[in-house]
Amino acid sequence: MKKPDVKLVILGDVNVGKTSLLHRYTERRFKDTVSTVGGAFFLKQWGPYNISIWDTAGREQFHGLGSMYCRGAAAVVLTYDVTNWQSFAELEDRFLALTDTASADCIFAIVGNKADLTDECASVPHPEAERDACPCPSPVSTTKSHKQVVKEDAVALYKRILKYKMLEEKQCQAAEAMCFETSAKSGYNVDLLFETLFDMVVPGILRKRAEGLSQTVDLMECKGTGPKSSCCY
Amino acid sequence: MSIKAFELCLAVERDLLMGDKARINIECIECCGKNLYIGTNDCFIFHFLLEEKSLANGKQTFSVQRQPHKYLGLKKPVNELKAASALNRLIVLCDNTIMLVNMLSLDLIPSGSKIKGVVTFTVNENPVSGDPFCVEICVISIKKRTIQIYMVYEDKVQIVKELSTPEQPSAVSLDGYFLCLAFTTQYIILNYNTGTSQDLFPYDSEEKKPIVKRVGREEFLLAGPGGLGMFATAAGVSQRAPVHWSENVIGAAVCYPYVLALDDGFVTIHSMLDQQLKQTLSFRDGHILQDFEGKVILATTKEVYMLVPLPLERQIQDLLASQRVEEAIVLAEGARRTIPKDKFQVLHRRILQQSGFILFGQLQFLEAKEYFRKGHLDVRELISLYPLLLPSTSTFTRCHPPLHAFADLNHLTQGDHNKIIKCKQFLISYLNEVRTTDVANGCKEDVDTALLKLYAETGHESLLDLVASENSCVLVDCVPWLEKYHKYFALGLLYHYNRQDDTAIQIWIKIVNRDLQDNTRADLFEYIVDFLSFCSNQELVWKYADWVLQQNEKIGVHIFTRRPVNEDKGVKLNPDVVIKYLHKYPQAIVFYLEHLVLDRNIQKEAFHTHLAVLYLERFLDLYSQKKHSSDELSYVRGKLRTFLQQSSLYRVHFILGKIKDTQLDLECAILYGKLEEHDKAMNILVHQLKDFKAAEDYCIWNSKDRDFSYRQKLFHMLLSTYMDPLLTSSELSVAAVDLLNSHAEVFDATWVLRLVPDNWSMQLLCPFLIEAMRKSMHSTRMSQVALALAHSENLIYKHEKLKCQAEKVMLSEKKGCQLCHNTFNNPEFVWYSNGVPVHTHCAMKRNKNLTDMKHLRDASNHT
Repeated sequence: MKKPDVKLVILGDVNVGKTSLLHRYTERRFKDTVSTVGGAFFLKQWGPYNISIWDTAGREQFHGLGSMYCRGAAAVVLTYDVTNWQSFAELEDRFLALTDTASADCIFAIVGNKADLTDECASVPHPEAERDACPCPSPVSTTKSHKQVVKEDAVALYKRILKYKMLEEKQCQAAEAMCFETSAKSGYNVDLLFETLFDMVVPGILRKRAEGLSQTVDLMECKGTGPKSSCCY
Repeated sequence: MSIKAFELCLAVERDLLMGDKARINIECIECCGKNLYIGTNDCFIFHFLLEEKSLANGKQTFSVQRQPHKYLGLKKPVNELKAASALNRLIVLCDNTIMLVNMLSLDLIPSGSKIKGVVTFTVNENPVSGDPFCVEICVISIKKRTIQIYMVYEDKVQIVKELSTPEQPSAVSLDGYFLCLAFTTQYIILNYNTGTSQDLFPYDSEEKKPIVKRVGREEFLLAGPGGLGMFATAAGVSQRAPVHWSENVIGAAVCYPYVLALDDGFVTIHSMLDQQLKQTLSFRDGHILQDFEGKVILATTKEVYMLVPLPLERQIQDLLASQRVEEAIVLAEGARRTIPKDKFQVLHRRILQQSGFILFGQLQFLEAKEYFRKGHLDVRELISLYPLLLPSTSTFTRCHPPLHAFADLNHLTQGDHNKIIKCKQFLISYLNEVRTTDVANGCKEDVDTALLKLYAETGHESLLDLVASENSCVLVDCVPWLEKYHKYFALGLLYHYNRQDDTAIQIWIKIVNRDLQDNTRADLFEYIVDFLSFCSNQELVWKYADWVLQQNEKIGVHIFTRRPVNEDKGVKLNPDVVIKYLHKYPQAIVFYLEHLVLDRNIQKEAFHTHLAVLYLERFLDLYSQKKHSSDELSYVRGKLRTFLQQSSLYRVHFILGKIKDTQLDLECAILYGKLEEHDKAMNILVHQLKDFKAAEDYCIWNSKDRDFSYRQKLFHMLLSTYMDPLLTSSELSVAAVDLLNSHAEVFDATWVLRLVPDNWSMQLLCPFLIEAMRKSMHSTRMSQVALALAHSENLIYKHEKLKCQAEKVMLSEKKGCQLCHNTFNNPEFVWYSNGVPVHTHCAMKRNKNLTDMKHLRDASNHT
C-alpha cells in the first residue's frame, strides 16, 4: 500500500453529501449512497504525491472518531447542505472542535453542497423564482428548495474559524477563495474544490519533507561529508 | 457473495478436557509452536501437542496428543496463559497473581517469580530492549488507575515502571514503548517511556467490552462505537478505514490480511486491504477468538477449534472463480511483502492475466486490455481463443494450468454472433496496438498472421496497409485464408512483400481478366501498369508487356514511359530495344517516341525522324480511309505540323521525299523552310495555297530566335513574292499592302518605297508610312538619347579623372587670368581641366561665345 503524504478530511453533518462529493470526484458520477459507517478512505495520486482523503461518518454515533481522523490533517473540508441551516450551524457547534487535532497549518474549506437544489443554481432560470423571492420557504416547484445558507454566511464562518484558530486573516487564504458551493449531483465546482485543496497542500508536503530531511541522519549517505569525529580512529 | 478464507477444524474435543462435567469451562488458551495450553475455570492447565496433517484433498486436520496436566490448587479459574518459549516458561494469571511454570512439566517456579494484584496483563511482542532472555509484560494492577511494566526472566520478575493513569484501564496492548489502553470512557495511546499520551476516541467500556488488539508494528485494532473495528497507530491516527462488525463483538484476531471477529453467533472475516467482509462463519457459543503466531484459535467453553487460513493462491483462485477480479488483485498485491519477489511476480502476473480473461469473457475489453498489459500476457494466449488464427507453424501451446476456462470463442460467446464480432473487433484493435511493441517480441509471425486473417475475414480496410508495409505474416498460412475471403489483390501485395512479384502479377492479371473475383480496386489494370513501370526486374516487364499492351496501348505504354528517371544503368531499358518491340503496337510506339522526344527531350535524329514518319503515316492512313473524321484528321495534322516546325533534328530531305507527292503543302513549305529554301516555301504558300496568313506566320516562326535582319530578310522576300512583276494580281497587291500596313516595323522603308509602284496612293500605304515615320523618328530620338547619355557618362569619367589627377593650385595677387590677363582680386575662380585658373566671369563669357558659335555652325549645317 502506498504511504500517503498528506491527509484531507471531509467533515459535516449527516446527509449533507460528503460521500457523494468524494464519489463524484473519484468516480465522475453521482449515485445514491448509504449512510457512511465509521469512515472511508480514498487515496488520490496528485502528481508525485499521494493524498489520502477521509470521508467521515456524519452520524452522531461516530462523532467521537472525528478527532482521530482529523489528527495531523493538512486540510479539512467542512461540508453543509445549502438548503439546511442546521447543517451549517452544526459545523461550528460540533465539528470545528474536532479539528483541534489537525496540523497547525491546516487549511479549511467551507463547502455548501446540494447547490443544484436551490433556485439560484438552476441551470435554466425559473420564471417563478422571481415571484418566490419572499423569505417564506414555500417553493412552488417541488424540486427546488429554498436556499437557507448563502455564501456570505460561509465567509463569515470562515473568518470566525480563523479567529478560533487564532490565525491572522492576512496570512491565510482569502475567505472568498475557501468557500465553495458545490453539487455532487451535477458535478458543479466539485473538481475545483478538490483540486484547489490539493494544490494548496502540496507546499505543506514539501515543507514537511524538508524538515524531515534535516532531522534525519542518513548513515549511508553521510560518508565523507562533514568533519569526522576523532573517536573513530 | 463471500469467499472462503478460513476453514474451521476441530482441534480438541470435549472428551479430552472436561468430558460431560457441565460446570467446568475453558477459561483461556495459549498456543506456542506445537504446544497448546488450556486453562480452565477449575484451576487446571491442560497441555497438548498439536499435530497438523494435510489430507489428500488438500484439507487440513489436527490431531492432539495429551500431555501431563497441572492443577494449580487455588480453586480459582486460570485467567490467562502466555508462553515465553525462549525462557521455557508459561506465564500464568490465576487468582490475581502472575506465576511462572515450566513449559513442559508445568511445575511451578519457586517464589520470587510472582506478581500479585494483577487484573490482566499483556506481553510486548515488539519490545524495545533486545534482551532475548526476558519478556516484557504490562500489567493492569488491582491498585486503582495503575499500570506496571515488568521484565520476566527465567526465574524472576522485575518491575521496570509504574504509571498512574487518569482513569481505570480495563484492557491493554503493547508495542515498543506504546501502550494502547482502554479506559472507562475512551481509548488512549500512552508512551510509558516519556509519559506522553494521545487520546484516540471515546468509548464506553462499561457498556461494551473494549477490545485492544495489536495488529502490527505500532498499529492497534480497537472496538469502536457502532460495532466498528477501528485501526489506530501509535501516533494516534487511522491509516485504514474501519471494518464494520456487529454491535456485540467479544473477540478479535488478526491473520494478515484478515481481521476476524467473534460475536454470539458468527465469526466474521474482513480484509484489512479493502475493509470488506469476506467470509462469515456461523459459530454458536463462541467464547475465545485469538491468534497465535499465524494460527487462529476459536473456542467454546468446552471445545477448541482451529481456523485454518486457506492458501493465498487458493483464495485468489476462489475470488477469480467468482469473477471478483478487483478483490483478487487487492489480495494478491497485499501479499507482496510476504512472498519472495520472484514468486510474487509470477503469481501477480498470472492473476492479472486471469483477471484479464475474466473481463474479456464479460466483453469488458478496455479493462481486460489493461490487465493483459499489466500482466505481460503472451498475446498468443488471447489469439489462441480464436479458432484457426494462429499460423499452423506456430509452436505455441496454452499455458498450464489454463488461464481461463474457455475452449474457444464459440464456447465463450455461446455462439452469439454479435458477441463474436465484438471479440474480433477487440482483437483487431489489440493486435494492431501491440504488433509494433515489445509485447509482440518473439511472436511477430503469430501476431501478424492472426491480424491478417482477422482483417481478411472482416473485410477491414487496414488489410492492404498491413500486407503492403513491413509485416511478418506467414505466407503459406495466409494464402489459403486470403483466397477463402477473395482478397486476391491483398494476396498479390503479400506476394510482392515476399519478393514474389511474378506470382503477384499473375494473380492481379487473373482479377483483371475476371478469372478471379475481387473488386478491391476498380483501377487494378492501371495499378498493374504502375507496378510494372516501377518494377526493377526487366524480365517481368517484358514478360507482361504484351498482356498490358493488348489491354490498352495508351495506358500500357506507361510501363516504358513512366519508369523512374534516375533508374540504375543496369536496369534501364534501352529505347532502341523498346522501339523495336513496340512495332507491333502502332499507338504505343507513337506514345513512346513522344515520350522520348517531347518529354525527355532526347536529341537523337533517329527518334525524331521516326516520330515524324509515324505522324505522317498516321495522317496518310487516316486520310486514305473513306470515312475519316475531319476532327481527328486535323488533330493528327496539327500534331505533325507542330512537330515539323518545332523539331529540327529529323531528316528533312527524307520527310520531304515522303511528303512531296501528298496534299500536305503547308507541311512541305515548313520543310523547305527548314532547308532555308524560303523562296520555294513562299511560292507554295503564296501561289499554290494563297494562304497569306500562313505566309506571314511562316516568316514569324522561321525568324523566331533569329536576329532582326533575318526576319527583315524573310519579310522582304515575302513582299517581293507578292509583288513579283510577272505574277501581278489584285489579290497579291492587297496582300502586299496588308503585309506592309500590319508589319511596318519590320520593313526597311526606303527599300519598300523603291519597290512600291508609283500609282499606289498615299492613303493606301498610310498606316505603313506613319509607322515607318514613327519608327524613323523613334530611332533618331533614341540615338539622341543614347548620345546624350554617352556624353554625360563621358563627363562623369572626366570628372573622376580630374579628381584623381588634381593638384593644388596657387592663387595669388600676382597670378593673372589666362583669358583677360588681369590679376585675381577675390578668391573665386574657375579652374580648367588643364590646370589653368581664370576669372569666373571670363569663363562664363567664353562659354557663352563657344555655345553661340556652335549654334551658328549647327544652323549652317541644317540649311
